[in-house]
Amino acid sequence: MKKTMQWALLGLVGLLAFTGCATTTNNGYSKQKVVYHVNYDDPKQQTGALRNIQNHINAVGKDNLDLRVVMHGNGLSLVLLPEALGHTKGFKTANADPQRQAAIDNLKVQGVKFEICANTVKGRNVNPSEDLYDFSESDIVPSGVAELAELQTKGFTYIKP
Amino acid sequence: MSSSNELDLNAYVDGELSADQQAEFLEAMRSDPELARQVCELGQLKAQLRLAYAAPPQPRRRVVARVGSSWRAVAAGGLLMSVGVVAGWLMSGENQRDADNRFVVLDPQGRGQAPATAASEETRIVFHLTSADPMVAGELLDEVETMLSAYQADHRPLRVEVVSHSEGLDLLRKSLTVHEGRIHELAGRFSNLTFVACKNTIDRLRVEHGIEVKLIPDAEVIDSGVSHVVRRQKEGWSYIRV
Repeated sequence: MKKTMQWALLGLVGLLAFTGCATTTNNGYSKQKVVYHVNYDDPKQQTGALRNIQNHINAVGKDNLDLRVVMHGNGLSLVLLPEALGHTKGFKTANADPQRQAAIDNLKVQGVKFEICANTVKGRNVNPSEDLYDFSESDIVPSGVAELAELQTKGFTYIKP
Repeated sequence: MSSSNELDLNAYVDGELSADQQAEFLEAMRSDPELARQVCELGQLKAQLRLAYAAPPQPRRRVVARVGSSWRAVAAGGLLMSVGVVAGWLMSGENQRDADNRFVVLDPQGRGQAPATAASEETRIVFHLTSADPMVAGELLDEVETMLSAYQADHRPLRVEVVSHSEGLDLLRKSLTVHEGRIHELAGRFSNLTFVACKNTIDRLRVEHGIEVKLIPDAEVIDSGVSHVVRRQKEGWSYIRV
């Protein structure tokens, strides 16, 4: 508990330092369009990805970033609620526990868009509005892979953490 | 590694050794896996440098080295450099085309190869497979098939390449793959789908482990998987790491 508080405090200090910096000086970065690719279900790797994204925002600034996270296949487990594991197909883990939910909220507040592959939703028997954390209709893209390709042709840089 | 070996290494990768010297070097490579690995790395590095700088300046440096006195060397060097810069600038377009031609030679059938200036409405995706896991490869084939079918149904142009490199090569190895039939069926059904194997990986398996790789018939071979995906991205292809 104490450790959590320390981290939270550290995060707050970091956030304050950053916002102060953004309003007063330019950090030297121009606007970036970036797409992060998540198609794996390893919880550690997913947590690492969320951390990468936060570090990216810290460095470049949220106003300088159009940042998307495209999830498909096993990657959907990042937003899959643990209670949905029973009736969906093909998932070994459901990683949207309270801790990751908080991390996702935090990124969404900073403008990150989480996109969900319709093929995976259909193929794995997912009921998005009940099984996925903080889902809205506009999060759905027809195909995760096609979305990754499309975003790159629109100038997005591809990163797979 | 001694410095003379290092010179040989560079000369070998640049294709500047005589036939005898080459045979000798190949012999050394067979007995020294570390040397073979360095050849692969240097080869990849140089391929990427060639992509980044259309006109590499090596020939001019050799000429300078032969000039006797130092002021003449400096003068000649300066002159050659300015000539080189102008020539390089004038010829950069030409060299770009050369690079494309060289690539086509490596793929005689030309299947699935797009020119650098393909129609902009065509979607082009290169999948980079480095995992030996048959499950991962199976999911990749599912995704590729879904996508090819959807684009075909809508009459939208699409080109897909699957580059298997490092451990990902298992997908295309006759003795190891569990997907040979599926790949054959997909490659037969979709002419816009190509499976590519990395020659550096094949060579490394031979030199380091004594394995003679046999590929399935639907696999094409490219010199370096890494330079190939770099190249594709430069040509405007979308990249997806499997």
